[in-house]
Amino acid sequence: MQHSQKLGTRAKLDVERVELPNGLVLLLSEDHTVPAVSIKAIVGAGSRFESDDRAGLASLVGELLDAGTTTRNSKQIAETIEETGGRLATFGDYQSSGVVVMLLSKDVALGLEVSSDLLINPAFPEDKVQQCVERRVAQIKARLDIPRTLASDTFNEIVFEGAPLHRPPLGYEQTVKSITQSDVLDFYRRYYRPDNTMLAIVGDIDKEEIKSTVLSTIGKWERTSPFQPQQVPKAHRQTSPVTEVVNAPKEQVNIIIGHVGIERRNPDYFALLVMDTILGSSPGFTSRIPRVLRDEQGLAYSTFSNITSSAGLDPGRFIAYIGTAPENLDRAIAGLRGEIARIVESGVTQEELDVARSYLTGSFVFRFQKNSQVAEFLIEAEIYGLGFDYLERFPELIRAVTIEDVNRVTRKYIDPLNLTTVVVGPVDEQGKVVEKEGVS
Amino acid sequence: MTTLITAAGAEEDPQARTQSFITRNVQRTVLPNGLTLLTKEVHDKPVVATMIWYRVGSRNEELGQTGKSHFLEHMLFKGTDRYKKGEIDLITHLNGGANNAFTWLDFTAYYFTFASDRWQAALEIEASRLRGTLFAEEEFTSEKKVVEEELRIGLDGPWEVLENEVWAVAFREHSYHWPTVGWLEDLEAASAADMKAYYDKWYHPRNATLVIVGDFDSDETHRKVEELFGAIPSGPEPAPFRLVEPPQRGEKRLLVKKETPVERLIIGYHAPAVAHPDSYALKVAEALLATGKSSRLYQRLVEQDQSVTKADASYHDQFDPSLFYFQHELKPGFNLPDVERATYEEIDRLKRGDISPGEIEKVKRQIEAALVLSSEEPLQQAMLLGQFETIAIGERVPADSRGYHYLDTLSDRIAAVTIEDIARVAKTYFTEDNRTVGYLINEQGAGERSSAT
Repeated sequence: MQHSQKLGTRAKLDVERVELPNGLVLLLSEDHTVPAVSIKAIVGAGSRFESDDRAGLASLVGELLDAGTTTRNSKQIAETIEETGGRLATFGDYQSSGVVVMLLSKDVALGLEVSSDLLINPAFPEDKVQQCVERRVAQIKARLDIPRTLASDTFNEIVFEGAPLHRPPLGYEQTVKSITQSDVLDFYRRYYRPDNTMLAIVGDIDKEEIKSTVLSTIGKWERTSPFQPQQVPKAHRQTSPVTEVVNAPKEQVNIIIGHVGIERRNPDYFALLVMDTILGSSPGFTSRIPRVLRDEQGLAYSTFSNITSSAGLDPGRFIAYIGTAPENLDRAIAGLRGEIARIVESGVTQEELDVARSYLTGSFVFRFQKNSQVAEFLIEAEIYGLGFDYLERFPELIRAVTIEDVNRVTRKYIDPLNLTTVVVGPVDEQGKVVEKEGVS
Repeated sequence: MTTLITAAGAEEDPQARTQSFITRNVQRTVLPNGLTLLTKEVHDKPVVATMIWYRVGSRNEELGQTGKSHFLEHMLFKGTDRYKKGEIDLITHLNGGANNAFTWLDFTAYYFTFASDRWQAALEIEASRLRGTLFAEEEFTSEKKVVEEELRIGLDGPWEVLENEVWAVAFREHSYHWPTVGWLEDLEAASAADMKAYYDKWYHPRNATLVIVGDFDSDETHRKVEELFGAIPSGPEPAPFRLVEPPQRGEKRLLVKKETPVERLIIGYHAPAVAHPDSYALKVAEALLATGKSSRLYQRLVEQDQSVTKADASYHDQFDPSLFYFQHELKPGFNLPDVERATYEEIDRLKRGDISPGEIEKVKRQIEAALVLSSEEPLQQAMLLGQFETIAIGERVPADSRGYHYLDTLSDRIAAVTIEDIARVAKTYFTEDNRTVGYLINEQGAGERSSAT
């Protein structure tokens, strides 16, 4: 099958990077297609910096950013943005936290002023901290009601033992309950600093105009002392297989098989991206795991594998997932393990490589369709040093991947002999299906 | 024979409409075989979104055969007389595109997104599977298992379980009674022959709308569509499908028991169909109640009472009257009747017209901005155009709002909504007799059993 390798010639971004006097990195890109703007103010802090006994702290701090500032209460913050028709959200996740705003372009100055207020002057009122803790406890319970999430959390506890990624991002009921206003303030003061912050503004803007607005808002954020990033313990790949079964009264069994993955900066990232596409990450059912387990054997609606999508500052995870009826449990586990072993032992074919490279080079442009996607990319490019010409270089990086590269990285980063297998569903510890009560 | 009504001769409306930026430059053409074509040439981004919409969904199904529309959607990827099984995905993949499909109550839609130098494969595939889909027994049998697994995911989702029950109780006669994926028992009994018959009944040019948005040349595209689709026979007149849910004569209540750490509540009120004169005031009410942290329900339930983790209100555009519904997830230690009562108190405020002019203006701006903020991608625009071309039809819809023109009049209709309108529709629809209330509660003794194992 012949196909064009040509990418749309306009697949290019015009990016401006400015470092403000206070150390904040400003990233701008204009796109006047739609009268809208995406603002992302991202702090380089998250749950990777918290301790086990305060698990959930970074997430709470992120959520509480819009709970009040020195001059606005939570309702005023919401109203200020929502009165324009815009949307604002704050968050704290594993490696980053911050404020995300989408609004019409005429309101961009207001969006910047409010984002700055939230980052520079958050008040973290005592009653709001307590309220947020209580809500978080309920959310932690609700989260485990979803069997796939329960399987994922159980898997992380095992493979990331000793590293911060073993914890669920929201923390645990007990640790969250112990969090106080002073914990929140400590975390904020330690990590929320202008020289640990990136501000991406993308969309229908005038770069020159926006720069002066930035200087008069978040540019006023004072740098007290230079920010020193902190080292976190790294996860190590396991040296023996582990199996964990969690009994839950559900219709399906949710299975996750895998181990520790890679960092985003790993030079083998691109070869692994190709491997992912061949083994289990293509959309549709072209890659091996969905083709065999879903399309040929009808075992599942949802089944896939992936190592690159979780790659970040710290190593992520290699996982293969399937959700299936309990009677398929053994076949599903054997199927996933079999495909993992097969790609490591027998490698990939030239045709598979060609298809995967073609897909990756052709589909890349779709990651830059929305202002929010471009803003996200600018932040990632800054964090991982990708370069803002990454969009133009990406096709070359993928085309340079050879069959030998794919086979080498597969053998290097995937270990079929030392996998963790987690099963959540109506099964007992021996992996036998538990019959439902009251069902004949 | 298959002369296309060209763009120049197509429906061009010179009269000044309030054009939304989504409908700007849209050309609507109907081929002689009845296929509706909407194209929007826009060169901002080097991509093209192609969608085909069929006016058939679970609404059109019959008792004992539920879930067919959705199953059929799966079968359209399993091979045609031109493409072998897997080939549609492979072509998409090789060209770096994406494809998928979805089925809901009123429609089934398929889409592709491709870079603009290689997008026409989408047209060829859609033309082939419009009438050329194969129903090989073995493909059908293995796909049935996949669809069953999809349905089981829903059975494990606490919201889906409660939602299915509420709709099933609220709709006694209308086919909104069952979920789009269908009932598991019907699915198990389905045959390839049933599927083929259903396909032959509904998949024809005159029951379809093709939507193309993005970086292409309109004239060339119109010629290509004519070449690929023009010769397909128009098929039978789609059978009129008229089910009417009679007025509800009193509150309906139901309980669903499931092992869950978090109790949930849904309240559904029968509410009018798309483009009904009252639907616009209800949309404003929906946003007023539940869009953003400044909304009424967030302020009342999350901030003031602190009784829920999530408070939501939804009202979707549907072909037939459907439900305006509230969905709340409770915090442990709070009880369902209290949260239900608080929701009614907030509804009563609307009935009294207790709304400030500033608040209604805020909400209107939110609705207006949402259209812009959610339509950056060609695919998102194609979704809106296709959806309204499919459901906003018939005499019941004012002529100026019919089909995709619904989007042209939407802003004006929303802008015209007054505080009195909101109070009136709240009093009309949010009544005790018109509602169905569902509680999801923790199964008795479930905690004991899990701790014993």
